Amino acid sequence: MQKHNPSFIERIAEKLHLIENLHKEELVELPSLTEPGDLTSYPPPEKWDDWTEYEALSGQRREKKNYMIIPTTCFNCEAGCGLLSYVDKETMRVRKFEGNPYHPGSRGRNCAKGPATINQINDTDRILYPMRRKGARGAGEWERVSWNEVLDDIAAKIRTALQEDRRNEVVYHVGRPGHEGFMDRILQAWGVDGHNSHTNICSAGARFGYAIWQGADRPSPDHGNAQFIFLISAHLESGHYFNPHAQRIIEGMMNGAKLAVMDTRLSNTASMADYWMPSYPGSEAAVLLAIANILIQEKLYNKEFLQNWVNWRESLQAMNPNVEVTFDNFIAELEKLYAEYTPEFAESESGVTAKMIREVAQQIGRAGTRFSAHNWRSAGAGNLGGWAVARCLHFLNVLTGSVGTVGGTLPSAWNKFKPKGFSTPPAQKFWNELHFPLEYPLSHYEMSFLLPHFLKENRGKLAVYFTRVFNPVWTYPDGFTWIEALSDEKKIGMHIALTPTWNETAYFADYVLPMGHSSERHDLTSYETHSGMWISFRQPVLREAARKMGKDVKFTYETNPGEVWEEDEFWFELSWRIDPDGELGIRKHFISPYREGEKITIDEYYQYIFENTKGLPEKAAEENLTPLEYMRKYGAFEVEPAVYNQHLNALSEADLEGAETDENGNVRKNGKVIGVMIDGAARTGFNSPSRKQEFYSATTKDWGWSEYAVPTYVKSHIHPENLDASKNEIVLVPTFRLPTLIHTRSGNAKWLAEISNRNPLWMHTSDGERWGITTGDLVR
Amino acid sequence: MNYGFIIDNRKCIGCHACTVACKAEHEVPVGVNRTWVKYIEKGTFPDTRRLFSVMRCNHCADAPCVEICPVTALFTRNDGIVDFDSRRCIGCKACTQACPYDALYMHPDEHTAAKCNYCSHRTDIGLEPACVNVCPEHAIISGDMDNPLTEISQLLAREVVQVRKPEKGTKPKLFYIDGDNASLDPTGTNPETDYMWSSQSSGVGHFAKYAENRIVNSPLKEEVKKQNFVQIEPRKKARRVYDAPNKGVLWGWEVSAYIWTKAIAAGAFLIPVLGGYFMEIPAPLKQLGAVIAFVFLAITGVLLIMDLGRPDRFLNVLFRPQFKSWLSRGAYIITIYGGLLTLWLLASFLNFGNLLKYIEPLGIIFALLSAVYTAFLFAQAKGRDFWQSPMLGLHMLIHSLMAGFAIFLTASLFVQMSVSFLMALTFFTIITLIFHLISLAIELTTTHTTDDAHATVKMITGGEFSRQFWLGMILAGNTLPLLLLLAGQIWAFALAGALILTGLYFAEHIWVKAPQRIPLS
Repeated sequence: MQKHNPSFIERIAEKLHLIENLHKEELVELPSLTEPGDLTSYPPPEKWDDWTEYEALSGQRREKKNYMIIPTTCFNCEAGCGLLSYVDKETMRVRKFEGNPYHPGSRGRNCAKGPATINQINDTDRILYPMRRKGARGAGEWERVSWNEVLDDIAAKIRTALQEDRRNEVVYHVGRPGHEGFMDRILQAWGVDGHNSHTNICSAGARFGYAIWQGADRPSPDHGNAQFIFLISAHLESGHYFNPHAQRIIEGMMNGAKLAVMDTRLSNTASMADYWMPSYPGSEAAVLLAIANILIQEKLYNKEFLQNWVNWRESLQAMNPNVEVTFDNFIAELEKLYAEYTPEFAESESGVTAKMIREVAQQIGRAGTRFSAHNWRSAGAGNLGGWAVARCLHFLNVLTGSVGTVGGTLPSAWNKFKPKGFSTPPAQKFWNELHFPLEYPLSHYEMSFLLPHFLKENRGKLAVYFTRVFNPVWTYPDGFTWIEALSDEKKIGMHIALTPTWNETAYFADYVLPMGHSSERHDLTSYETHSGMWISFRQPVLREAARKMGKDVKFTYETNPGEVWEEDEFWFELSWRIDPDGELGIRKHFISPYREGEKITIDEYYQYIFENTKGLPEKAAEENLTPLEYMRKYGAFEVEPAVYNQHLNALSEADLEGAETDENGNVRKNGKVIGVMIDGAARTGFNSPSRKQEFYSATTKDWGWSEYAVPTYVKSHIHPENLDASKNEIVLVPTFRLPTLIHTRSGNAKWLAEISNRNPLWMHTSDGERWGITTGDLVR
Repeated sequence: MNYGFIIDNRKCIGCHACTVACKAEHEVPVGVNRTWVKYIEKGTFPDTRRLFSVMRCNHCADAPCVEICPVTALFTRNDGIVDFDSRRCIGCKACTQACPYDALYMHPDEHTAAKCNYCSHRTDIGLEPACVNVCPEHAIISGDMDNPLTEISQLLAREVVQVRKPEKGTKPKLFYIDGDNASLDPTGTNPETDYMWSSQSSGVGHFAKYAENRIVNSPLKEEVKKQNFVQIEPRKKARRVYDAPNKGVLWGWEVSAYIWTKAIAAGAFLIPVLGGYFMEIPAPLKQLGAVIAFVFLAITGVLLIMDLGRPDRFLNVLFRPQFKSWLSRGAYIITIYGGLLTLWLLASFLNFGNLLKYIEPLGIIFALLSAVYTAFLFAQAKGRDFWQSPMLGLHMLIHSLMAGFAIFLTASLFVQMSVSFLMALTFFTIITLIFHLISLAIELTTTHTTDDAHATVKMITGGEFSRQFWLGMILAGNTLPLLLLLAGQIWAFALAGALILTGLYFAEHIWVKAPQRIPLS
């Protein structure tokens, strides 16, 4: 702090009260955390309970503010980055959010959406109390009700449905889960197949492409250690794990990695790329197969990996039953199969130059096992055959042997923690055909966009329909069909919208129930952001602050703004009331594991998980904390610093008991392959039926799509061959995510809306000229 | 100790996290920014890319904002941080003109200036600035550049870095690794009204009140439209695709008007009193001059205070002076000149003839200083290249002489004047007008060496100010009076005077406003 030395004139004028005296108070300075000139990122955790700093707004007055620093987890996207909330002890309000340095995924850093959480907390338009509709559904009239009324009313409806065995009529439709396994457990406890998601307009296509290779349905790229990074779409601004991935992509690049980005548009990510491959939408797989072709023809593949870890015998037999089953013959078949995917062909399909495709292929071949790649939504979503993009992208990982390696691409399951809950209810033994219709046997995740159409076709109805952070009226392709279905009380008996902010779907609800933002709720999250494995604890920070101050808080809404609650406690209370006497068999799953016969508390739920998280009790004990106390204090825990090559894990003695190894090295037990024999050692392999990377997918063939059994290019519905230029048919890419916004949920974050407040249509200038459209024009 | 910043463009992904973290730390109002990310695009598909540049205060070693601040509200700390104390700020907006980097904004509610202060409230307790902490890519590096062991020192030693506008001599301490010239140079791209994701192009900070009007009333209020920057011919084929909203022309009519009234206040006293040394000037004429000077000086004071964001703090200029600032010096000059005028008037009306002898030389000196000090103030406004002209002092001196002549020419209609006085008046007015035209020609054609100044000249002589310049200033303000005076008709003198005064107003208006239309970032 530099003290101001007033001039003689100023001192006199202040003394004479001609001007305000700015020098009367002697400031007692706060101690510095560091030596002068040496700066640190965060106050040390031992000071978090009692942290005093200067209030920025007080300027040179250097007003002191005393905070409790309480960690939580960001909920503005699915990355689950760590946040530190600064709770002002005087006002018991959050002053600001910063990053949590103890979070292994985000490492103390955030994107714009992290600090903007404060806007959402303080949003003057937010819903503060449970609301019940007055008048017709969608009429826009609401009245405030108590949580008690809400719980009793909904519980009664669900109870009746369950008693009448209308188990498919209780549905929970989620946009943004933000938790690990919590809801699956609730729905299983109710005995309903009631989970619906948004995934089929999002990542389901790409997930399918990955799943049929290796069981795990998402990639976990180790960008930070890669030599070549291949991204489909804009992972430096809108990736599913935006901030954690963006950190590691750039780290990889600073360590010398090259970056290729396949993105139709000039995104920020495309701008950062060494190779921007602006592919025609839907043509991505053609480019990827051209790269595969080069890797195969130029023998840039990883022979050892292919030999050991690809189901090449089955593949070869299926592709060409007439040749001897040798690895060389498999390669020969591959050469033949992909010979047509020349870079020139790919160029004609995609517009990406053959020269660039060759260069990228060479670079990928050179990177070998240090080749990280990622496709989440983007080309995989909304395109006919979009799933083949991920299938073909992962083919490159397989060819280079970069699956599970340092700097490679890992199966998601290796890096994502599965919490062990208490009293796991059994899985339901039936399925809901409104979600998984028989016509789509390979649908990966629920065919959620068909729900309103099925309701209109009278294929079923819903008694109780929860939408949670889910706004299909706005974000789904045909919002008006959703409005029709949601407005029809015969189709949807009761619609409950769980949301922190008003949205278009909540407008058609019977109850709008305010649920907390990231600092107002409990959740456990774990995501495959990198090669490690972590868990992060989302906690209601004002409740935690109140607890630390010795206040007894029973429910989170007591400390949140208004009566904003949180889902976890809501579901506990609701489940308890659905089964008041325990006769439905639900209540037993909500009994405290610590207090016999009593209802579980939210603290006990997490206490149990943390006590059963590998390594956490020991880590906590080092600081004389219980596992729950540790998570309350640090907000996150690194379960594993790095998880590579899990497929090489040895099968245990127990696993091997009664197992046999066939002539092809498959370790079989009870009719299932449980591992792979490599050089005399039994390895667990991958999560696929063959425990290998499945180049040939018997699953796909068995369900009737033998033409898609091996990685292939499917021409999409918007392939130029399928467009009629005479009818002015053109390609519109409707999905785009900005680094600053998250679907319809960040609209009320003023600092984010300030940066991004307009939604233009981008068009190439040549198209504009063709149609006589210039910048700023309105188009329909 | 010497704090600086590095923006590492090898790593910056343009995510705006720094912008929002800064907003959260400082609760920066909507519309204005202490740090923001500018996007530009270059090239043609598919050989095109977007480039990001984080913009903010450069914490200059020779900070022009500190030098121009009249009340030490802006100051350079011992650790090199350029900080500010908004309690001292009077809202004169001089810093926004002095900063070549567009770092300062006017707080829409407080009406005081603000900018990035390196989170000095955090560094004081050993914490990194908020933007450094949040940056996902560690693309913003803070630290002590005097200590060779810090990351910033090592990067500066190893990497090629750029700064914005080094020619300004401000010694900026914000360094860009892989800085891009078309991004860092404000004239490399044109400011637009609509960007990729945003459409607020103006009406922020000082002008937030108009933006509010805009929402309530018409879609495009003239006030807001007028703040838009001029379009210039970019030297590179680059497009600006995202930027913070334009803060507008912050010195408006009050400033042009005060220069005009000040010229009159100086000239009206100077002409008869100076003239008195060479010829017989009757006391009433001198008194008339002094009274007009006094009135216009009072109006000058009112305009000066009116222009302040915080008129309630106008006394700070005198009582918290920063004597390097020509605004502070100017305030004292005007005050002393006002005092001398008062004394002169008292002495003159109370017939203390002897006293006048002592007051007049001092009065002449302070009238001259009042006339020209604004040129030094404008020279301190380093952000505006056009004002850096060495001709500006002369220009203002001539203007006050012209104003003085014009006042008496106009007054000739109402007041009895001797023929010899009128002849001298006409003669010297003609000489001054000719001299003025010559000096104008020199100022507009030869002395400006930078792009910004050239663009300003173009705007004046051939652009949006050309009508005001050619018709208002050159024709009405100089040529017609010249012709009228040469015609030698007594009736025409008053008209010539009025025309000169009108022309002068156009001149001040153009000179104040045009340079502010050039974007600083």
